[in-house]
Amino acid sequence: MNLFRLAIKNVLRSRQRSAVTVSAMAFAGAIMIFYASLLEGWYVAMKQNAIGLEMGEMQVHAKGYRDDPDLYKLVTDEKRLVGVLRKKGLLAAPRLIGGGLAAAGSNSAGVMIRGIDLELEQQVTLLHRHVWHGQWLAGDDPAGVVIGRKLAKSLAVKVGDELVLVGQAADGSMANDLYRVRGILKSIGAATDSGGLIMSGAAFRQFMSLENGVHELVVKRISPALELTPLAQELRGRLDTLEVHTWQELQPVLARLFEMSNISLVIMLLITYAAVGILTLNAMLMSVFERIPEFGVMKALGVSGLNLFTLIVIETLILTTFAVTLSLVVGVPLSYHFSRVPLDFSWLLESSTTIAGIAFEPQWYCHLNSSSVILPTLFMYLVALIAIFYPAAKAALIRPVQAIHHH
Amino acid sequence: MRIHTMACRSLRRNLRRSLITAFSIGFGVFLAVTFTASGDYSYTNMIETSAVMGLGHVTLQPVGYNDSPSLSMELAEAEMFHRELTAIPGVEAARARIAGQAMFGAGAKSVGGAFMAIDPDQETPAYNLLTRSITQGALFDSDDERGVLVGERMAKKLKLRLGKKLIITVTDKNGEIASELTRVRGIFRTGEHSVDSSLVLLPLTMVRKLLRYGSDSATYVSVYLEDHRQATEMVNYLRTRWGQKDVEILPWQKTQGELAGLVAVDRLFNYLLQLLVGLVIAAGIMNTMLMSVLERKRELGIMMAIGMRPGQVVGLVLAESFWLAVVGLGIGVLITAPWFYYMAVYGIDFTSLMSDEYSAGGVVVEPVMKFRLYRESAAAIIGVVFTLTIAAGIYPAIRAGRIPPVDSIKEI
Repeated sequence: MNLFRLAIKNVLRSRQRSAVTVSAMAFAGAIMIFYASLLEGWYVAMKQNAIGLEMGEMQVHAKGYRDDPDLYKLVTDEKRLVGVLRKKGLLAAPRLIGGGLAAAGSNSAGVMIRGIDLELEQQVTLLHRHVWHGQWLAGDDPAGVVIGRKLAKSLAVKVGDELVLVGQAADGSMANDLYRVRGILKSIGAATDSGGLIMSGAAFRQFMSLENGVHELVVKRISPALELTPLAQELRGRLDTLEVHTWQELQPVLARLFEMSNISLVIMLLITYAAVGILTLNAMLMSVFERIPEFGVMKALGVSGLNLFTLIVIETLILTTFAVTLSLVVGVPLSYHFSRVPLDFSWLLESSTTIAGIAFEPQWYCHLNSSSVILPTLFMYLVALIAIFYPAAKAALIRPVQAIHHH
Repeated sequence: MRIHTMACRSLRRNLRRSLITAFSIGFGVFLAVTFTASGDYSYTNMIETSAVMGLGHVTLQPVGYNDSPSLSMELAEAEMFHRELTAIPGVEAARARIAGQAMFGAGAKSVGGAFMAIDPDQETPAYNLLTRSITQGALFDSDDERGVLVGERMAKKLKLRLGKKLIITVTDKNGEIASELTRVRGIFRTGEHSVDSSLVLLPLTMVRKLLRYGSDSATYVSVYLEDHRQATEMVNYLRTRWGQKDVEILPWQKTQGELAGLVAVDRLFNYLLQLLVGLVIAAGIMNTMLMSVLERKRELGIMMAIGMRPGQVVGLVLAESFWLAVVGLGIGVLITAPWFYYMAVYGIDFTSLMSDEYSAGGVVVEPVMKFRLYRESAAAIIGVVFTLTIAAGIYPAIRAGRIPPVDSIKEI
């Protein structure tokens, strides 16, 4: 007997019931795919804002710089170093860092001044894309600086306003110069928001009278497939006058936070899975239990218990396959759409803000990856098969006469 | 006709199916309570923490101060407002404070930061996070005009200890530089880095003289309410009361806009995720109801043949949905109650996992998951459960109403 053909016939015969079961499961599956990609998108955005915005995946400093930052603790051969890292599959951007006092009108505030390489910085971090008002730095405007958003508020400056910067230069003299606010950044992180001032590397060198060397190299992998920790280990061996830190070492609290949110995302997923599981279970139980009299007739006609069991399993697989296909057809384009066009909550916020020091953007993108499609699919098959096991076994073992009168 | 008796009977006839469906509703209630209650708790907590960091639930301040704060603005009648506010029902406390930017110097080092000037006779730890968080020393008393409290991180930066000198430099109300020598009486630690590294508490009387303010002036008066949800109402009341005076009255949503936005976004995220789970559950209910209608075609046909009108059949199926929602809600309450009780009283403490303070929108969030359910949130959950369940029953009910009596009896 051709069980597969029989199964298809059964599915088609009770068309209404099949359609109801399939559409309920497909709806749940589509929502599950959407939900999984929303959660994944949240996680990816958080990680990108924490690491890709400013910190980079790895940082290189002169020995001792991190414990006690000082204008004179320099990485001297940064050009060669950028080349060396490049060969390892890493992009690097040099930064100059110093402290100073910014004043505008009668307000003043302490600032952390950063001089960056306009070209290389863009390859490594996304700072240039996070300008809130005004524009990002430009090579032909050395007096234009970009500042953090809280700093702009405490200095009461807007784009185009002038500010005076005072600091101690590398040669011991008093550095003092006039700059113009070219841009105000969105939330980047707690420290940069309240005291970050960014200018071009050349402008920094002039202000601080510093000719050579840099204070920091921010590093990013070209391909995310590259393993970060062994690479850092290897670099540490080669560059013994320097300090190499991965982002997990730079921000252990953050690394911890990511582990925790990963756990909570898994919990959230399990919750939807449970809801989908109950739905699938009920749908499948109904579609098998109600047909026990029908199965009794088949047994009376001589179908063996094993064949009957197999038949029910095949029917379930056919229904689930329909449901899964439909859920993919609906869920994947839906998630894809929201991975281009985010859910936008910016109307609720006056400006961007930070959570745990990480910039928080009110745009929520979906992130569709293989696990947000494969896991829900496998899960639906699994639950469906578990759900029908008991009623199918019952149908296979029951005596025909009892089954016919079963209700 | 007793439509509800009939509805309950048909639910009971297929007990397993009804129970699984009701259980899925109960599960939904459990989730909705878990997510909403942990949200309600943490939002309340953040709003309260933010309020005791200075600005209160409602703030009375000079007109225009909120947009561009400056020490040149003073609220001349602050003490009058303060006195009258305490007599208004719904107001728990009010505090007159001066706040602004200053330079702090000790030895050869100096840093920029902010200060908050308070009256030590008025302030109590309940309405001031900083005096509540003192780790060394104590709050200066009212006859100590030179006492200050500094944050732990600033103390470290300036190498300050109790009894050490700290020089405050500000621009006074006329824009002139003014300085005062003070002594550290205490050190506080809130956990929020920006506060601990840049804030200093000063005595109100000293700062009034330093800034050349009047003896009744302050920068703002913070008002603490019994319930932060009454802020807008209170603002409206105070505006009618003091409408002709030169004062701006704002709720915390305006003075602490960053936090308000964060709470609003987080709440929306939370509801969106709940809604998605709710839709899955509703699809399950619809599936059950539709199946039960389809397999009862014959039964419903007979009922219509003996005189039941289509409208009554629709009503019957909707009544089934309704009772499913009632049972589901009951199951939900049963499984949620112990969990809710535990979480409301004890909660789960993540401190050991966090190792460091966690802040959002500039406010320290304690790493404890606890529950608190606003009455309106509980009402919303119940409303949504009924709406979704009955909405899920509408299509099956309409299908049932359209069953042709004679034909369906002929069907096997």
